Amino acid sequence: MTDHDDIDMLAAEYVLGTLDAEERAEVAQRRQHDADMEARILAWEARLAPLGNEVEAIAPGPDLLERIERRIDELEATFQTKSKSEDDTHGATQVIALRRRLGFWRGCTGLATAAALILAVVMIAPFDDTPDAPPFVAVFQQDDQQPAFMLSVDLDSRRLNVRPVTAKPLPDRSYQLWIKADALGPKPRSVGVLNDDLSLPADALSDYDSELLKRATFGISIEPPGGSPTGQPTGSAIHGYLYPTDRDAVSQHL
Amino acid sequence: MSDASRHSSTHLGDTSPTSPTSSDHLHDLLRRVTRRDRRAFAQLYAATSAKLYGTVLRILKERGRADDVVQEAYVTIWQKAAQFDAARASPIAWMVAIARHAAIDELRRQPRAPHEPEEALAHTPADEPSAREHLEHEQDAKRLHACLEALEAERRDMVRLAYLDGWSRADLATHFEQPVNTVKTWLHRALKQLKGCLAP
Repeated sequence: MTDHDDIDMLAAEYVLGTLDAEERAEVAQRRQHDADMEARILAWEARLAPLGNEVEAIAPGPDLLERIERRIDELEATFQTKSKSEDDTHGATQVIALRRRLGFWRGCTGLATAAALILAVVMIAPFDDTPDAPPFVAVFQQDDQQPAFMLSVDLDSRRLNVRPVTAKPLPDRSYQLWIKADALGPKPRSVGVLNDDLSLPADALSDYDSELLKRATFGISIEPPGGSPTGQPTGSAIHGYLYPTDRDAVSQHL
Repeated sequence: MSDASRHSSTHLGDTSPTSPTSSDHLHDLLRRVTRRDRRAFAQLYAATSAKLYGTVLRILKERGRADDVVQEAYVTIWQKAAQFDAARASPIAWMVAIARHAAIDELRRQPRAPHEPEEALAHTPADEPSAREHLEHEQDAKRLHACLEALEAERRDMVRLAYLDGWSRADLATHFEQPVNTVKTWLHRALKQLKGCLAP
């Protein structure tokens, strides 16, 4: 028997299912980087696939889709997959990705009531790497109503701009901007407490590199004067929508 | 089986673009899933879950384990939709393969209670599957069945029990009362014969 035969039989038995756990793991790993193995596996899948016609279709339980979607939510919240999005669903995709992250923030703030607080989450991640990719503007909304803040970030210069839309300075309260990223660990970090005019220094993000910023999410919480006493957001309420914008529009904000 | 599940599993081999489970339609849904379109994902699930669930349940025999594995398979589909290559597989075959491998991996990790071979064999009908459950183009199915018919009966049963019911070499050895190495040799001969028979 030649080596080719051996490899082909390994692929065939992998597809047939008769290898033991260890052999299966080896083949599964090998196919990732061995194009010949991968091609042989796919050829065997194609040969044997019609056998599957014999399998009776059976509806899964009614809850399974929801379980799957929850699992995807969990994975997406902690692992943002960059995807190349090339068409007009671009903005919509980001809004979905943003919504997905809201649960993540809710989980980590441990806050009491949603109504007490404005926390919006922003994802600055453009889904492509083209140098001309526009910065993104995040809109922080309160109670699903009007935008409370907008945040724009220019990834090249790492400059940010926070702008109140309907948010007003609150007596005896401060707004605080937070950043969260896998590379920074599980907890949000303070970017800064907003000034009385609800602005922040444009270089508040200069300590973070643009790769990290691309994957980061942001939130704004309402805190006691001068900022959170605990170093973590102490309130939450979360609705955010993200709008891609072009460079000119953003530069007006900056 | 409910009408709903039956409906969702029909016409898998239908190439009409208007059919909810046609290959073109599934391919379109997969493309949308690569753009993280959750509605498309739900539609893809509705169109394919009965087939995947049936495949996995037949291997694992327990609904609890099948639920876990089908969940894992759809998460993989969500994550890897961009890797789907229409030149190399039909969408449903690609998805079934992911689910089957997940089920077999699970079974190898934790084998189920001893088989009841008579029941399993009774499961593998010799007659033609109903046309509306065809996974693949009918012609491919006919060719494979003709080639399977050309195998010796025991080897044909081995291939079916392995592919459809997830039997290991050891399971086959026990049932056919042969040493494991003999089973391996028979399987290789059967697979090579099938390959030769199916070659264009």
